[in-house]
Amino acid sequence: MKIGRLPALVRTTTFRLALLHASIFILFSASLLAYLYYETAGHLGRQAEAELNAEFGELSAAYRGGGLDRLKQAVTERREARGKFFYLLEDGSGQKIEGDFDVLPAPAPLGQVVNVEFAYDARTIQGQPSRRSAEGRISRLSEGGVLMVAYDVGDLGEMNRRITEVVWRSAAVGFVLSLIGGVVISRSAAQRAEQLAKTTEGVMGGDLTRRAPVFGSGDEFDRLSEQLNAMLAKLERLVISSRSAGDSIAHDLRSPLTRLRNRLEAGLRDTDKDGPRAALVRSIDDVDGVLDTFNAVLRLSRVQAGATGSFRRTNVTGITDELAELYQPVCEEKRLAFNYTPQGDLFVLADRDLIAQAMSNLMDNAVKYTPEGGAIRLEARRGVDGDVELIVVDSGPGIPPEDRERAVERFVRLEQSRSQPGSGLGLSLAAAVAEAHTGKLVLADGGGPPTRPGLSVTLRLPAA
Amino acid sequence: MRVIVIEDDADAAAFVKGVLSEAGHLVDVCGDGESGLNKARTGDYDALVVDRMLPGIDGLKLLKSYRDAGGRAPALFLSALGEVDHRVEGLQAGGDDYLVKPYAPSELVARVEALGRRATGDIPTTKLSVGGLEMDLLARTVHRDGQKIDLQPREFRLLEFLMRHAGQVVTRTMLLEKVWDYHFDPQTNVIDVHVSRLRGKIDKDFERPLLHTVRGAGYRLEA
Repeated sequence: MKIGRLPALVRTTTFRLALLHASIFILFSASLLAYLYYETAGHLGRQAEAELNAEFGELSAAYRGGGLDRLKQAVTERREARGKFFYLLEDGSGQKIEGDFDVLPAPAPLGQVVNVEFAYDARTIQGQPSRRSAEGRISRLSEGGVLMVAYDVGDLGEMNRRITEVVWRSAAVGFVLSLIGGVVISRSAAQRAEQLAKTTEGVMGGDLTRRAPVFGSGDEFDRLSEQLNAMLAKLERLVISSRSAGDSIAHDLRSPLTRLRNRLEAGLRDTDKDGPRAALVRSIDDVDGVLDTFNAVLRLSRVQAGATGSFRRTNVTGITDELAELYQPVCEEKRLAFNYTPQGDLFVLADRDLIAQAMSNLMDNAVKYTPEGGAIRLEARRGVDGDVELIVVDSGPGIPPEDRERAVERFVRLEQSRSQPGSGLGLSLAAAVAEAHTGKLVLADGGGPPTRPGLSVTLRLPAA
Repeated sequence: MRVIVIEDDADAAAFVKGVLSEAGHLVDVCGDGESGLNKARTGDYDALVVDRMLPGIDGLKLLKSYRDAGGRAPALFLSALGEVDHRVEGLQAGGDDYLVKPYAPSELVARVEALGRRATGDIPTTKLSVGGLEMDLLARTVHRDGQKIDLQPREFRLLEFLMRHAGQVVTRTMLLEKVWDYHFDPQTNVIDVHVSRLRGKIDKDFERPLLHTVRGAGYRLEA
């Protein structure tokens, strides 16, 4: 026979915890009962036991002093005194000599002494018959015969029973209540878990916009949901950006690849002696261009995915110093006035190579788009809000405000820059680097005359 | 130079072998990590060219084992993984240089030859000299034919690198990496401008030029 799986509810962790909790409750009830018993009924019992011991001691003394006759006399006296004890004295043949019962209510001991519990019939004060319980001790006498001393425990028994009953009843109620509580808790937990499972299921099914519900209670499920949502948001961004990158790559690589193909084809048909060779040489240049674009795209994707960079507390002034030194000769060559004044140490948490590359892209652009006789300014300073700002300002044509946002997107090359070489990824990479450093890339007017306003690009990084 | 190329991609291996052979080097090729490691250990090679991703033992482990066993030939990693941390991993594993695929043949030759020079000529030295050009590394001075030449700190490092690799082709990327410690290529011709400035200082007033441009590859300092 196959054993069916446990119902879903029972399989939840919280239900198991509830069950454990209920069991612990039962255990607690049992120990409470034991304690109560020890303190009340147990106490009375022990007291009765002590009295029984004393009674037996005295009767033994009588027996030792005067044999069976003395013992019989003592028992008779005691019965007449109407104490709390019952007695029965039998001779060696089992005949009653003296006592409250006609026969032993319990079997005589095989050895010397035995403690017994038994029931007997009595009458209440009102004369009603009632069956009561008693406890006592039966002892075999050395000359044959037995002595029994017992006492009524009817009241004691009743109390014991009541205490036991109360404790077990409340334990049962407690068990049921904690089980119900467990079921309720586990159902709500199971529901939340189910919502999370549904969310991930939806995402796996391709719906990247799915998010887990957050109820604002700040509990562990809310936190889990928030984490999951943050992860999904990042995932969605990455997927979208890689999708658009894929599109852009296809778009941007198609034309050079087509050109390459045509050139190779033409070279193949070229009958001129050096024709094919020239075609090959130029084809290699084409391929290099394609590879450059490809590498730039890969690098950009990695930066956007946050999969690169080792961030250290870095003095960015060191980076701009080096860049200034690297680019100054180029500026001079192109007859551009280059201006750089560092402003002390500026520490940020950064990857030197990434920042250097971003800034190098900005400098490349500035050099590329600023006509001869223009000016380029590189600046590193602390912004008004304490952020660190790395700024490149040129006196080129600038970018109209309405185009600035688009200029940062991948592969976007504004009309005026189509004629210039470049992959169209420079600003995108700088923006991605800024984002990877939880900073921002801000494009603004360069402050020049309206006809040639120039461009100011600021890489803003949080200070460290 | 005797070079062993450990590369599992047969086409790539053939390409590397072809390029290095053409440049006049003796090249052995190994297609997997284990036999490559054995061969590198037992053979007497001047340089190792190791693909980073190999079946069996990968390139990093291979080089670590090689170094642990006392192998001292300089090694160049070839890899499609080009991020800075990948380079650092490669260098930590005992590599001496790191070349990201795809690369130009001239870049490969230049780097392998630079490695060979390192193995033989990396003895601590205080003076470098090429033709009449002399560099004092302690006094940080440069003279040509007894005439003092003033250089900026970066120009000094640039010239030092060129002099240490005198007679070899040095690519722009190598200069960016070794002299500027940048692992990306600026779009503008920044390196060319720096080299031409340096050339202006060391060659301008002299009849015989020392700093040559190698078309499509880079530069070479040679007497």
